[in-house]
Amino acid sequence: MKPPTDRGSLVLGAYVYAVLTFIIVPLVIVIPMSFSQSDYLAFPPTGFTLKWYAEYFDSRQWRAATWLSVQVALLTAVCASLIGTAATYAMVRGRSRFVALFQILLIGPIIVPHIALAVGLYLFFQTIGLSGTVPGFVLAHTVLTLPFVVFTMAAALGKVDANLEAAAMSCGATRFQAFRFVTLPLVLPSLASGALFAFIISFDEPVVSFFLSGIRQKTLPRRMFEDIEQNLTPVIPAIATLLIVLSIAILLGGHALRSRSKTQSSAG
Amino acid sequence: MGNEIFVKAASTTPATAGASIRISRLEKRFGPVFAVDGVDLDIAAGEFIALLGPSGSGKTTILMSVAGFEFPTSGTIQVDSEDLTYVPSNRRNLGMVFQNYTLFPHMSILDNVAFPLKMRGLPKAERHARAEAALATVRLGGYGNRRPNELSGGQQQRVALARAIVYQPRVLLMDEPLSALDKNLREDMQLEIKRLHAELGITVIFVTHDQSEALTMADRIAVLKDGKIKQIGPARELYERPANLFTASFIGEMNFVDVTVESVGDVVSVGLPWGETWQLPATAAVDGVKAGEAAVMAVRPERLRLGAGAAGQIVNVTLSDIVYAGSAMLLIGRLPDGTEMRARIPGESQLSSLAPGDVASFTVPAAAILLYQGKR
Repeated sequence: MKPPTDRGSLVLGAYVYAVLTFIIVPLVIVIPMSFSQSDYLAFPPTGFTLKWYAEYFDSRQWRAATWLSVQVALLTAVCASLIGTAATYAMVRGRSRFVALFQILLIGPIIVPHIALAVGLYLFFQTIGLSGTVPGFVLAHTVLTLPFVVFTMAAALGKVDANLEAAAMSCGATRFQAFRFVTLPLVLPSLASGALFAFIISFDEPVVSFFLSGIRQKTLPRRMFEDIEQNLTPVIPAIATLLIVLSIAILLGGHALRSRSKTQSSAG
Repeated sequence: MGNEIFVKAASTTPATAGASIRISRLEKRFGPVFAVDGVDLDIAAGEFIALLGPSGSGKTTILMSVAGFEFPTSGTIQVDSEDLTYVPSNRRNLGMVFQNYTLFPHMSILDNVAFPLKMRGLPKAERHARAEAALATVRLGGYGNRRPNELSGGQQQRVALARAIVYQPRVLLMDEPLSALDKNLREDMQLEIKRLHAELGITVIFVTHDQSEALTMADRIAVLKDGKIKQIGPARELYERPANLFTASFIGEMNFVDVTVESVGDVVSVGLPWGETWQLPATAAVDGVKAGEAAVMAVRPERLRLGAGAAGQIVNVTLSDIVYAGSAMLLIGRLPDGTEMRARIPGESQLSSLAPGDVASFTVPAAAILLYQGKR
């Protein structure tokens, strides 16, 4: 016997598949285009070549932009994780009256339009000479990525019983040792996942980077926009393909870490 | 360098040495509220003290002040005449067991128990050997490789106990350590903790809201209310002769009858609400009752005897409920003036004929009656 067909669930199913298709189609188009032999962007692609990948890896400009983006993203991930974890710890464990205000300030960058932030940072960094520098990018991206670290860490730290730290301190641990030996190992998977988020958000952040990039110091997204304006060769889909692969790898990695943290916290 | 002193103190202190604790004029204010309001408490070395009181009575705050997790507003805490009032918790060298086990979930049982030794800088081999020994003390030898979530609640609490005693602290603090366990386990653990206390000679401060736990386990019990100690003494004293109305009503079951004191002398004569006058021995007056003033007469339900006997006062009770309660029958009824009176009578034979609505006579032995100033 079959259950009766539910029209509502059919419609919902169709809708979900439509959304998924809509999301996946660009990927399906971009990936074959990166192997096309024609010198301009064309669909359907003609022939098969790896020369656009070769051009990307051979070009000093592309390599410089990628290296800058990697540097910025790595440093951003480190800064955002450190600051985000410390700030979240203060919010979760602290008894300050200013916790709510503090929280709004930390999460603000998600609400404030990036363009507004970018313009502000541009004017400010111009005057103090941070524009187009690695520290400048890292500062800006740390602000942008902090909310994501704060969200993941608030969930993780909230699950760690404060009495565990008290127990550690009654065992002779200093407050820092209690954090280091008890709390940190328990939230480490979430911390790593927050850092991965920060990395990937920084790595393909276009708006702020657009404003802060100088003539020589350009992040990969900024460089890609320039190339789209000037050349529009299949190097762009080639890079896009590489970024898709990287993103999927990071997402899967983050997912694995989160599910590990889930089994651990349910064990605790 | 601090660590070396720490370790030395921990390893050379013989296992049978508890510390004496002196809490003087302890006060803890949260805003306008006094959580602890002028508590003085002297605890002898090796003594087992229970802090008993309803929630909000300040018992946990006192314990947390001794543990170093709360700093008092004023007053001092001395352990072996060393002032620890404002010393951070990790430098106090006191063992602590929390209500919800608080084992570190990412560490093995052995690493959990060895953690205090790790913090004291002991080499791995030694701390593992001592952790094994501590686990054996709580009868969990061979459990070292397991994870906390593989153990039952009672076993986890025993691991927490092992972790608290592994560095041979002078004092063991316990914050409602058994309230998360079910009844049978709780009774096992009560005996386990008593045994450990006897074996180690450690001073124990045990916070509980469970009076039977306090009465069973402690050498002395401090009864707390609104941040003040209402009475402190051994279980028998607290139960047999509570020093005030609060303790009398808080510890065990108690019947209260409002009376008027008519005269005080070799005997105290009191007027009962239904018109009788009883002559009571002068020892019945716990606090100084005065002639002409109101007083409360208190009697434990299990001290009442069914039937009119010779040695004592007789009361007639109109029964409303007869409840079978296992080891005894609980008879609930009203005195002639309407005041409720409960009696616990062991054995069933004489009771089978009683039914709700009957008037039963009870004998109240004179020695069972206590008198307090005031009204109930």
